[in-house]
Amino acid sequence: MGIKIEDLTVTFRNDVTAINHADLEIPKGIFGLLGENGAGKTTLMRVLTTVLSPTSGTLTLDGILYSEGNFEKIRKKIGYLPQEIDLYPNLSVQECLEYMGDLSDIPRQTYKERIKYYLEKTSLSEHRRKKMKQLSGGMKRRVGLIQALLNEPEFLIVDEPTTGLDPEERIRVRNLLVDFSEGRTVLFSTHVVEDLAATCNQLAVMKNGKFLYSGNMKELLEQARGHIWICKTKEERTARELEKKYHVSSKQYAGDELQMKVISETPPKMECSSCEATLEDAYIYLANKEL
Amino acid sequence: MICEMKISLTFQKQAYAVFFVIILSLVRGITYSDEIGIALEAPMAILALTFCADTYTQEIVSKRSEIWRLCPMKKRMHSIYRHIVIQEMFLLAVAATSYGLFFLFQNPNINGMGQGGIENEICQFFVYFAAIAVTLGFWGLLSNLFSCLFRNMWVGIGGCMVLWLITNSSIGDRTFKAWNLFSYAFRKLENSSDFSWICGKVVCICIGIMAVVALPKIIKKRG
Repeated sequence: MGIKIEDLTVTFRNDVTAINHADLEIPKGIFGLLGENGAGKTTLMRVLTTVLSPTSGTLTLDGILYSEGNFEKIRKKIGYLPQEIDLYPNLSVQECLEYMGDLSDIPRQTYKERIKYYLEKTSLSEHRRKKMKQLSGGMKRRVGLIQALLNEPEFLIVDEPTTGLDPEERIRVRNLLVDFSEGRTVLFSTHVVEDLAATCNQLAVMKNGKFLYSGNMKELLEQARGHIWICKTKEERTARELEKKYHVSSKQYAGDELQMKVISETPPKMECSSCEATLEDAYIYLANKEL
Repeated sequence: MICEMKISLTFQKQAYAVFFVIILSLVRGITYSDEIGIALEAPMAILALTFCADTYTQEIVSKRSEIWRLCPMKKRMHSIYRHIVIQEMFLLAVAATSYGLFFLFQNPNINGMGQGGIENEICQFFVYFAAIAVTLGFWGLLSNLFSCLFRNMWVGIGGCMVLWLITNSSIGDRTFKAWNLFSYAFRKLENSSDFSWICGKVVCICIGIMAVVALPKIIKKRG
């Protein structure tokens, strides 16, 4: 089952088209959504959470059609962590989550148990009495994630959940999402390619309101195979020319040489060797190949 | 309930409400105790409309409304109404206190235009209390309704201010007479047995009920 999106278009009042005739199927499990700023990721999530109504196209969640009459039913199945959210600054972490649990109509005992469990899972137990305004950005993000998980949704939508987290916390949150995705659908949107590489098998790449790619991560890497090159040079002029001509995904000094990773259909006309593509390379290759 | 009090009655809001009535009771001169209600009704309406305008729009500004949308409508409305009731109760307490502050700071003549005496003063206070409760409820509900309708607190405040300026003027008094929203403030002090100003408060109650009924529809539609 999962989510099915057919010919989805979202045009705003100022005639900006955020999503342009997009089709996508999101299966059970953790599904990554990758794309540059303004690609339409957040708009897609707002449509999926029924915050925004599409201009045209159809969406279904586990076979339930997105329509006014079905919204109550759909909303019960969804948990959502928006990109920007300012949870009640005057409440403590515990109070804030209890308030959200009560608002979601979860029985008191149940939400108390879940809050305790997720606070431990996200290493926030010792901060539960702190006021929300006293928390760091990363801690607030984790509290936001807990509120999205509180009603144990069948479909969890998380927009940049790892923003502001330190490396250890990022790993913890990623693992939490992977655990949670068992038997459920988790839509994980992020700019951090590394997070997707560590959690998802399936992903979609968005650009200018369209899906450039949707499917298996291995196949995406396969597409980029043979188009990633490592070039070495000692001359700065050559390096600058390379940067002008090609997409350079990384560069670093190795001794007195500058080593650059170049993304190109054909090998650059200089000393270079082919190398394995990472998800980041594959994403850049795809994003610059199409449109 | 404690969470809702912390959300809807922030320290800043409590502080400006208290300062507002202290300054008002210091600078607004009165001679007779009968005039306290007149001095308080219109300014308290401004306090109520600014105080309650962000009841729901704070959820929009902080982007929490996107999460609220996923919660059952019944729960959302219960929470909004609880926020309104908490704010109105606080304002009512402030309004009652400010009546006393006028006695403290202005030392009015209690044997003024009416019959005088302690019993009459207590009676006057209860009449004031009933009238101000309706006034606070009406302006609070209306500004919240306008704010939700336009998803903007300032539109809610601005819209109510226009209505306030119209009804709290000699033109408003002449046009609406006893049916004016500020009929209590415009009542004839010389005739204490004249209760025709109640008509204006009935209008407030009717519009207030309509606002309560309309609010869930607006929240459902506008989110």
